[in-house]
Amino acid sequence: MTAMIDLKNVSYRYPVSDDSVLKNISFSIEKGKFTAIIGNNGSGKTTLCNTIRGFVPHFYKGDLDGEVIIDNTKITDYQLGQLGEKVGYVFQNPFIQVSGVKDNVFEEVAYGLENLGVPVEEIKVRVEEVLKLVKIEYLRDKNPFELSGGQRQRVALASIIVMDPEILVIDEPTSQLDPIGTQQIFEIIRLMKERGKTIVLVEHKMDLIAEYADDLLVMHKGELVMQGPVRDVLADPAFEKYQIQYPHVTEIALQLQKSGIPLSFLPIRDEELAEALNRTGVAVHD
Amino acid sequence: MKRSFKDDFNMMAMLLIPIAVAVNLVGFQLANVLRLPIFLDTIGTIIVGVIAGPWVALLTGLITNLINGIFNPVYFPYALTSIAIGVGAGYLSKYGFFKSVPKTIISGIIITFIAVIVSAPITVFVFGGVTGNTSSLITAAFLASGQQLWSAVFSSSFITEIADKVVSVLIVFFIVKAMSDRYLSKMNYGHLYMKRNNKK
Amino acid sequence: MKQNILLQLHPMTKFYFTLFLFAIVLILPGYLFSFALFPVLLLIALFAGVLKEFLNIVLKALLSVLVIIFIMQMLFYPGENVLWGWGIFEIKQEGLLYGLLLTSRILAIGSAFILFFRITEVRDFVKSLEDIGLPPMGAYVVLSTLQIIPEMRRQANTIMEAQKTRGVETEGSVLVRAKAFIPTLTPLILSSIAGTEERAITLESRAFSAPVKKTSLHQLTKSNIDRALPIIFALIVIGLLVWRFFF
Ligand SMILES: Nc1ncnc2c1ncn2[C@@H]1O[C@H](COP(=O)(O)OP(=O)(O)OP(=O)(O)O)[C@@H](O)[C@H]1O
Ligand SMILES: [Mg+2]
Repeated sequence: MTAMIDLKNVSYRYPVSDDSVLKNISFSIEKGKFTAIIGNNGSGKTTLCNTIRGFVPHFYKGDLDGEVIIDNTKITDYQLGQLGEKVGYVFQNPFIQVSGVKDNVFEEVAYGLENLGVPVEEIKVRVEEVLKLVKIEYLRDKNPFELSGGQRQRVALASIIVMDPEILVIDEPTSQLDPIGTQQIFEIIRLMKERGKTIVLVEHKMDLIAEYADDLLVMHKGELVMQGPVRDVLADPAFEKYQIQYPHVTEIALQLQKSGIPLSFLPIRDEELAEALNRTGVAVHD
Repeated sequence: MKRSFKDDFNMMAMLLIPIAVAVNLVGFQLANVLRLPIFLDTIGTIIVGVIAGPWVALLTGLITNLINGIFNPVYFPYALTSIAIGVGAGYLSKYGFFKSVPKTIISGIIITFIAVIVSAPITVFVFGGVTGNTSSLITAAFLASGQQLWSAVFSSSFITEIADKVVSVLIVFFIVKAMSDRYLSKMNYGHLYMKRNNKK
Repeated sequence: MKQNILLQLHPMTKFYFTLFLFAIVLILPGYLFSFALFPVLLLIALFAGVLKEFLNIVLKALLSVLVIIFIMQMLFYPGENVLWGWGIFEIKQEGLLYGLLLTSRILAIGSAFILFFRITEVRDFVKSLEDIGLPPMGAYVVLSTLQIIPEMRRQANTIMEAQKTRGVETEGSVLVRAKAFIPTLTPLILSSIAGTEERAITLESRAFSAPVKKTSLHQLTKSNIDRALPIIFALIVIGLLVWRFFF
């Protein structure tokens, strides 16, 4: 497997900030992997996403050190429009994330394809398909400005997925959604992974990350403090230091362990709890 | 991404225009609701001139009048005035005329002259000297007292514009002061107004 | 509504028609033709099913302007032939004629534009301009402006209400009322510009500056009438010019 996203000793400072917001970050993400970025507020997750998408430093300016390599090409060697086709970016704020010139959701989702010069017939087919995938067919004639936050987040996701980029960078796509909506978004992301996309997701909901993601990057005050397969990172005692939530089941398991009940391994998904306890002979009742 | 530097500036400036046009319209509406004796309908255009420069402000002025003209075609010919105000504000900003309150007041006076000089000929040639707003009454009074048409139009327009423009530029001064460095750093002339001085 | 032949014309055809009226009003001497044009515009508005809005806007935008302009010309236009006098006020024939000429032209041209925007969607007009070379950024700015205006109006009202409940006076002397202006407008502007960074990123993420020719779901079609009418308009204007200046 080759690296799709490769950062080498990347540091970055915004033009109007005093300190570096990213500090000497190195990691690489293989093609087809689903990587979650976690970390507390202000730890630099969004900035990291902007770096992968090339908005740092090209849009935000400021000083970027180190190398960002996307699909074996240095980010500085891409033309502005090219990277847009390769890296789809759904960012945090769903309220601003509309084109601002379209009257209904169907056209809103089609906007990126129009800009890419895709033939009209093909646009219609692709938009239909994505509306169905993201479960927003019923919104097709609604004005994007009149949607709820959760609906907007779905539209924003659909608007990027429809462009079919190889890499999806998604920053907190479920902040406005209820648990069912959130679950659905993760299912969509899983589907994207099955289609071979490389996925980078910023999320706080650890239960779902544990269930769906392959790898974890932990950001803390601008530094990449831990990285690796989700299970390994969570099992590392160092994780506790950063005061990031564990998945609920892991939390419970750790509590049990503290109160003297031995675990055969650290469960990160709900269904693993029984197994983790059972191996030691403790009977569990539901 | 060789062409991005220029493009990004354009993109941010481009996104400022619709807001500024709306500010022009909303400012006018607010002044009406509050029954103020001035129009306050060029604040958006002047802001754009100050932070994004004359060319973006030119477009802002033009679009403002085109959109107003949809419901009142009397606005169409005065697009020239709005354009001139925008370009004027842009150049004044470039030469540092919005950096302090006294200088800003001078800008307001200069912008008043620009507005009067450009709009008077339109008023005279297109509308015969009056367009039915407040300054028409003053024009009529001057005419009745025996003044010539041109001087009547110039003086009445000056009287109605001066308070409006000086108040407008002062409002702009304080609004620009309240803008974040983060935003200003992305505007063509923003560095002139940033609180912290930047290496780049 | 859309099966109407008039409404189905290409936006450019309607625009050329408006310019055509503009031109002939200026070319033809006297006020009779210009005044006669107004009933024609009324008929077109009726046929297009927009009579009520059309009249409404004409009355609101033009009526008072026309009356004032007319009175001013009668009173102050220089001339010798006094028709009627009262104290310092004299109505002169020259003033009456010029007043009629000016108002007839303003009425004709002004209402032609008002009609144009009643029978043309701005979105269609912008699209047709894009088709003949308006850069995508220009089109974006106009369309986005049209979406932002009502949004900002709403926000301004919300802020005003909030001001009132917080005790900011919106009644009283001019100075008191003026003081309500700034706390309303400033947050409106600051919050609006705060979103532009993310809007720029949104547009970039939607390939706004992709170096290819854009396509569009929104297609305007040109019929044969749309091809013929502009030529007819041009020929008439040229004919009128020749007649005016060579005979
Ligand atoms: N455009 C900008 N200009 C200056 N500073 C910025 C900018 N964007 C973010 N910052 C600062 O950089 C730091 C990291 O911000 P970032 O948005 O990357 O964090 P985050 O991990 O995404 O936070 P959150 O969980 O709140 O989304 C913060 O201190 C923030 O204030
Ligand atoms: Mg963030």
